Amino acid sequence: MRNTIRFTGVGGQGVLLAGEIMAACKIKEGGEGLKTATYTSQVRGGATVVDITLDDGTIRYPYANEGEIDFMLSVANVSYHQFKNGVKPGGTIVVDPNLVQPTDEDRKKWVIYEIPIITIAKEEVGNVITQSVVALAITNTMTGVLPKQSLIDTMLSKVPAKVHAANQKAYELGEKYAKEAMA
Amino acid sequence: MAREVIGNGNELAAEAAIDAGAMFFSGYPITPSSEVMHVASDLLPEVGGKFIQMEDEIAGIAAALGASMTGVKSFTATSGPGISLKAEQIGLGFIAEVPLVIINVMRGGPSTGLPTRVSQADIGQAQYPTHGDYASITLCAGSLSECYTETVRGFNLAEKYMTPVFVLLDETIGHMHGKAVLPDLEEVKANIVNRATFDGPIDEYKPYKVPMNKPAVINKMFQGYRHHVTGLHHGDEGFPTEDAVQCEFNIERLVGKINTVAKENDGLDDLPDYEEYMLEDAEVCLIAYGSIGLGAYEAVQKLRAEGIKAGMFRPIMLWPSPAKRIAEIGAKFKDKIFITELNMGQYTKEIERIIKRDDFTTLFKANGRPIAPAEMVAKVKEMM
Repeated sequence: MRNTIRFTGVGGQGVLLAGEIMAACKIKEGGEGLKTATYTSQVRGGATVVDITLDDGTIRYPYANEGEIDFMLSVANVSYHQFKNGVKPGGTIVVDPNLVQPTDEDRKKWVIYEIPIITIAKEEVGNVITQSVVALAITNTMTGVLPKQSLIDTMLSKVPAKVHAANQKAYELGEKYAKEAMA
Repeated sequence: MAREVIGNGNELAAEAAIDAGAMFFSGYPITPSSEVMHVASDLLPEVGGKFIQMEDEIAGIAAALGASMTGVKSFTATSGPGISLKAEQIGLGFIAEVPLVIINVMRGGPSTGLPTRVSQADIGQAQYPTHGDYASITLCAGSLSECYTETVRGFNLAEKYMTPVFVLLDETIGHMHGKAVLPDLEEVKANIVNRATFDGPIDEYKPYKVPMNKPAVINKMFQGYRHHVTGLHHGDEGFPTEDAVQCEFNIERLVGKINTVAKENDGLDDLPDYEEYMLEDAEVCLIAYGSIGLGAYEAVQKLRAEGIKAGMFRPIMLWPSPAKRIAEIGAKFKDKIFITELNMGQYTKEIERIIKRDDFTTLFKANGRPIAPAEMVAKVKEMM
């Protein structure tokens, strides 16, 4: 069973780390996980795409095959439109509605949920950096690809101890919003 | 026991260098190779080694060469534009016979090109990185595990043949993050090759007085043995000479110690120079290396699922090339050979030279984007 997930944003938003956490968790669970990132030479603000491939068996080609992606999450309009076509018809896309504007065509082609990821991190968690963990929680809640506690443990092992509580909270909030969106 | 680790290719290459006995790194950061430096800066002080970030690419290799001349295993890492800057110093490494591992994480070129994007456009550069006659050893990692194993191998070959060795990664392999299975550390350490030394009387020490096709025997510095190091043609003790017979011998030996030896022994060591996948009963052979080999695996699987018997040949030792095996593949598959690389056909030229035909199907890309298995499948179907 292969799952391919794509995060898109702009440089500096922390989407790279979210991808590494998912891959590391899958490996810890006995499978294989690979993360690749494509970014521009701009230090900040360039379109960034992270592909995560999770499989119980061997993964060779590390990028998502275009048109086969199960789930995409986007927090930047420029990268959303550049990379959305990798998602398979009927696939799920989560966007931050304050930053990403899907077209009417898009809404017919994919199941699109709008969750204000950045606002949740900034105002409810109180730390904008936790947006990648909010995104991580939404992704895992909607796809169910990884065991929740194992993912949280992996995540906490990769962030400094002083922000464990904030990231734990970010995860719970991401999960809550994802469940509400799907309800 | 084999070790399972999580990391990216650059990190694994740096860890391999330390495990292979490197005690010195100097370089200058450049995307997409910088993580090699980052990890070297963490690990070298822990093992009593030295790390230094120099003022530019040229100084980066100059210091590493100098460290190696004293007898310390050294390495540097960069990307294509950095190799261009280091070119003259690489030549000093060839003629003075200084072991050095140069990790090149390839990005799009020429010049500053596409800094963050994948490419395999430095294949020709690795064969002839600098002016003059010499033979290069170039290894190309095709998986996360090989970022480790080929770097270790690079150190051993550098010491065995007293020469700079290129370990090529590409941006995809260097930055992809996942699981790698590494060989047992004790096994790595047990197979470490150290440069030969002369332990006779000091006044009989003549490091460059070696037979045809043999590497120089250069002792560590500060042990009492003295020799001269120069980029000029030199005689037995390293002092400059323009003697015609000596100069001819020097060049024939520099080329022969790699190319002739590889030809006579079918390689430079006992490790695999290539990998084959489902080639035995194949009717079409895909040839790819580096990260493009990863896509080719999946292309072979997809083609087989559609009833086309495909297989793959992936060279690991690019220079000197595994010519004997490539010739056999040419004889078996004739024009049913598909070559794909992230450049305009740099290694295809070598395959054409060996097989002596130029009617292969090819898929080249040089825009900084990877080649997807589906693109390979479509092209192979056209030829069947």
